[in-house]
Amino acid sequence: MKTDEQEKVSIGAYIALAFAVVFFSGLMKSNEWYGIFDFTTLNGSFGNMLKDATGGTTYFRGVGGSGARDGFMFALSLVPTCMFALGMIAVLEHFGALKAARKLLTPILRPIMGIPGTTGLAIIGSLQSTDVGAGLTKSLVDEGELNETEKDIFTAFQFSGGALIVNFFGSGAILFTLTDSTGAAVPGSIGLALAVMFVFKIVGANIMRFYLKTIDKKITAKIAEAN
Amino acid sequence: MSAAPESKKMITDVFVEGARKGWGIGIGSIIPNIMMAFIIIKVLSMTGFLNILSTVFGPVMALFGVPGEGAAVLMAAVMSMGGAVGVTVGLLSEGALQARDLAILAPAIYLMGSTIQYAGRILGVVGTDGRRYPIMFGICILNALMAMFVMNLLV
Repeated sequence: MKTDEQEKVSIGAYIALAFAVVFFSGLMKSNEWYGIFDFTTLNGSFGNMLKDATGGTTYFRGVGGSGARDGFMFALSLVPTCMFALGMIAVLEHFGALKAARKLLTPILRPIMGIPGTTGLAIIGSLQSTDVGAGLTKSLVDEGELNETEKDIFTAFQFSGGALIVNFFGSGAILFTLTDSTGAAVPGSIGLALAVMFVFKIVGANIMRFYLKTIDKKITAKIAEAN
Repeated sequence: MSAAPESKKMITDVFVEGARKGWGIGIGSIIPNIMMAFIIIKVLSMTGFLNILSTVFGPVMALFGVPGEGAAVLMAAVMSMGGAVGVTVGLLSEGALQARDLAILAPAIYLMGSTIQYAGRILGVVGTDGRRYPIMFGICILNALMAMFVMNLLV
């Protein structure tokens, strides 16, 4: 066992300790810029609950809060949206909505990306989980179903906006439920954002397709040689 | 994935299971990410760094109809999608971003989001040639910028 004397403590550790002392001491408590070195200042405040015309409180989060506490209350107010969205997706998936999507989408997607028919499951899988998409792609490559070019095109599709459906409904969809300081609601819709992202995933795959065909012939040839 | 046992499940149970997943994301990702973003934005705002960001990136971001602070969202996105959503929400709360800016930034966050992490989880697993990494990242960033441009026209 190491004794106290044997254990090395770097200079950085002492600086960290000194910082901790200052940070938690309240010494720097201020609304000036150096307030950023004070725990209480950054912890901020909960917003005030205001009474509306009916005597009820207007807004769960309160008004005029700041820092960690305000962030917490705000984030907490977003959790039901996230739970509701993922609950609905689970129900829709239960009824086979994603299978239907696969049936409809694959005949369209494959030709516009120039990848073979065996990728249908991986396309839909990659929209739900990056790991499922990447794993399926890897096995398609190993089985010789995809060549180098097709692999890179398909990977570009997966890499931009990875696990799009789960990621977007897990966090991004809440953005469309918010209002700004002027009371304006976020324009557009969850559906519009999803459509735009989906289109650009396909555009990205085609940029890769174009790049491989025109600019990157040398590397393509080299990789083919190595294999 | 097998259909037989799933079909015996009550639909309410299916919903609750999904909602529980949502609770997990809420507690595990949304709340910590947004709370951290609120603290970081408070620091940026108290030190005046947010104003600098706004001035430096203002002209570029103006092409997409977003104020300069929007650049902070895109920088955060490369690390983590959830973090970027937190930054967006924090900037909205600070008054630095308006509702319309959120609609423009939302697709971009995901199209170039978490790419550092996904380089390992997608490119690494698939076995993408190292020489193709720059173009893969480039496509993500380009996708994000094009999506912002299109959203700026649509909303």
